[in-house]
Amino acid sequence: MLQTVLIAITAFLLNIIFPWWSIAIPGLIFGYLFKKKAHVSFGWGFLAVFLLWGGQALYIHFANNGILSTRIAEMLGVGSPYLVILITGVLGGLVSGFATLTGTLFNKKVPS
Amino acid sequence: MSLVKPLISLIVLVVLAISLNTKFGSVPPLGKFFDPDAGFWANAERSLPDTDELNLDAIQGEVSVYFDERRVPHIFAESEYDLYFVQGYVTARDRLFQMEMQTYDAAGRLSERLGDRTLNRDLSTRRMGMPYGAEKAIELIKEDEKTWSALNAYSEGVNAYISSLSPKKYPIEYKILDFAPEEWTPIKTAHLLKNMTRTLAGGSNDDRTSNTMAYFGDDFIEKFFDVKPGLNDPIIPPSKTWDFDRVPVHTPDTLFKPASALELENFDRPEGVGSNNWAVSGEKTASGFPILSNDPHLGLTLPSIWYEVQLHAPGLNTYGVSLQGAPGVIIGFNENAAWGTTNTGADVMDWYEIKFKDGSKQEYWYDGEWKPTTMRVEEIKVRGQETVFDTVIYTHHGPVSEIESDINEEREPTYHALRWIAHEPSNDLKTFFGFNRMESYDDFKEAASHFVAPAQNFIFSNNEGDIATWISGKFPNKWKFQGRTVGDGTDPLYDWQGWIPTEHNPNIKNPERGFVSSANQESAAPDYPYYLDDDFAPFERGRRINELLAGMENITKEDIRRMQMDNYSYHAATILPEMLEWINRERLSDTELEILAEAEAWDYLNKAELKAPGIFRWWWSNFYNGILSDEYSTTDASLRWPSRDRLIEVIKSEPEFEFFDNIETEEVESRQRVVTDAFKETVEELTDAYGEFGDNWNWGVVINNDVDHIAFIPGFGAENVYSSGNSESINATRGSWGPSWRMVVELGLEVKGWGVYPGGASGNPGSPNYDSMLEAWRVGELYELKFMKEPPEEYLYELKFSSND
Repeated sequence: MLQTVLIAITAFLLNIIFPWWSIAIPGLIFGYLFKKKAHVSFGWGFLAVFLLWGGQALYIHFANNGILSTRIAEMLGVGSPYLVILITGVLGGLVSGFATLTGTLFNKKVPS
Repeated sequence: MSLVKPLISLIVLVVLAISLNTKFGSVPPLGKFFDPDAGFWANAERSLPDTDELNLDAIQGEVSVYFDERRVPHIFAESEYDLYFVQGYVTARDRLFQMEMQTYDAAGRLSERLGDRTLNRDLSTRRMGMPYGAEKAIELIKEDEKTWSALNAYSEGVNAYISSLSPKKYPIEYKILDFAPEEWTPIKTAHLLKNMTRTLAGGSNDDRTSNTMAYFGDDFIEKFFDVKPGLNDPIIPPSKTWDFDRVPVHTPDTLFKPASALELENFDRPEGVGSNNWAVSGEKTASGFPILSNDPHLGLTLPSIWYEVQLHAPGLNTYGVSLQGAPGVIIGFNENAAWGTTNTGADVMDWYEIKFKDGSKQEYWYDGEWKPTTMRVEEIKVRGQETVFDTVIYTHHGPVSEIESDINEEREPTYHALRWIAHEPSNDLKTFFGFNRMESYDDFKEAASHFVAPAQNFIFSNNEGDIATWISGKFPNKWKFQGRTVGDGTDPLYDWQGWIPTEHNPNIKNPERGFVSSANQESAAPDYPYYLDDDFAPFERGRRINELLAGMENITKEDIRRMQMDNYSYHAATILPEMLEWINRERLSDTELEILAEAEAWDYLNKAELKAPGIFRWWWSNFYNGILSDEYSTTDASLRWPSRDRLIEVIKSEPEFEFFDNIETEEVESRQRVVTDAFKETVEELTDAYGEFGDNWNWGVVINNDVDHIAFIPGFGAENVYSSGNSESINATRGSWGPSWRMVVELGLEVKGWGVYPGGASGNPGSPNYDSMLEAWRVGELYELKFMKEPPEEYLYELKFSSND
């Protein structure tokens, strides 16, 4: 849980300044440090940025009265703006999940 | 210990990240695109822009921009340089993507950003000589210090905005298409204006008329293209007398016949390009001052082609709509005068058959000798592919197109040179700068005299009570019917031998009837000494406007607003009664009779809630095709089709018109047979398209009015806007074309304006302001335009510019 919170906060801060792929960096670091089981690492890492990106998207969706997310949903042919928010979360979650998994696996295999 | 697992995981991560950062086909880089901080989410407008102050080196004094509640910028500057700089800045701020795409299109550079899907469009743009024309225009503009400095100020303003942008702040389209804005330069404005010429004066019938003449004979041409419909009501009323002798031209003894039937690229103009304007004198208005109205009909897009703005500087205060990419106001008013415009359909695009000495195309035969050609290599960069080099040959006429003729027996290519007004050096902005500042009729006349292309029917009115029209533009001085067929490229008599002197252009000031008007119809009555074209818009809108205005007194702004929304179909009124008379009811089923009853009860108003307009439109179209398409499809050559208003005259007066017979059948069809078949076909087609007869046949649905995004991005347009109108009505809304700006100006001590366009000030699809005026436009409401003499007390927010020094 703490791992997820740390990843989310760090990813949020990095993402403000650096390109989007910087969201992978906290996963790598905190995955390495927390050294959890592989699937658990992936899960917490995924959840961190899924919630971060999904939450940000949801906030923007409401603040914008859904104007843009509705148009993007139509552009993508997905029907609902909530699916656009979901996709946003999943994309970020996947990157962070794999990053966290990678971090953990390196810690297990590299003697410290 | 094995590193296999962590390495596999790392590779998956890296591949994932790289994939999500890469554009695949038309799919944007997904990670970058969905990033809530810098992807499309960043374009979702969450609050109004704050009042802000910008310090820029290039600004000379202080500039304040006040955005009113519709977010129209009102720019108050201390110098013209600052004014145009800030106009460039705020226009880019609202419409950058559109500005860039329009000029990429005009310069034949779309493929540089969009890849090979636009390569044919670019090749065609280059082969028409669009960039060539823009280069010639900019040379002339450089000689006029005022225009040149305005263009430079505007460019610097656009660039100041672009350089303030981080990728996160790019308009959303850049994120979808994954490219960055580039530096703006003055020639882009020249490109943009040449694109207007392409849209409005890029049509030609030459090959089709030649083919039709060869195929159906001279009598057919005379019957359909020489004779004008009796209901024509020209722009300049026939009462006008012409007190000059025309400049003579030399006419060939016999008309050149092109070597072969051929098909030039399709330069047909869709109906819908066209406009209305009129001005009534104070004698006819309630206020005693003139009222001016204008609604240019163009492609309806989001964002709109127009950008509303007020420009205020010492010696200048004007309000109206601008084109994004050009400084100044194009249609609008100032404290003393108002102006409006419609397109003139004169023939300023001619094709010549060229005889080359040999395959090298280095020499061509002209006036009894071999003359050298020139070559222009067009370099077209294509995204993700190798650059395409296209060599275009030029004769003194212009660029040469090669036509692969599959119609002549030898199947040899034929060559055609294009002489086109867009190749002329021109400084058309000078006209608008003049309009922005004009006070008197003489100012109007002087400003209009600089206009080259696309030729326009400019109308004018001012506080002194004058109303006037000048048909402005450079017109080649032609012999009668010159250029309606393919010309002989070897014979100087087919060249444009000179120009109609500007003071001979059709014009009228303060006519007795108390109004001036235009709706793209014939410029002047047949006694006008020059030949302009044999093909102008059908009489319907023009005649309707003139009849309404002639019957109106004590006119108010509200009367004019209603008139802009007039949906009367002169077209239906001149033929539907006859179609109902001719149809054989015995052949109709009960349902068909019920549908016919809708058409019978119709009052010829193209209203959204009626079914008759759709039934009539499809029925007429099937009738028209039923009469002509059998004969027209007996050749592969493209032929010229008669205008509907002239065909109606012929079929009404000639019950035995030979084209009624369907040549594909044994029997001889009658008028009754064709009109009845057409009706049955209509019922079938409408049922297929819209289901069983019912409310889904309402014209508001059948009108098929989509306001698409300029790059056709799904979801970014407004589909199926349920509206009244039709191309033959004053309210010429139909199928993505229509009134792109409706404006009414009441002159007087305090000039007042009203207006609307189908869109909003913001070009951002993530802003509520993107399409906020669409509904008002749909139902024909107008907004009062906040024309300010002083900086306002109240406004939505403010943008201040000041110098760094």
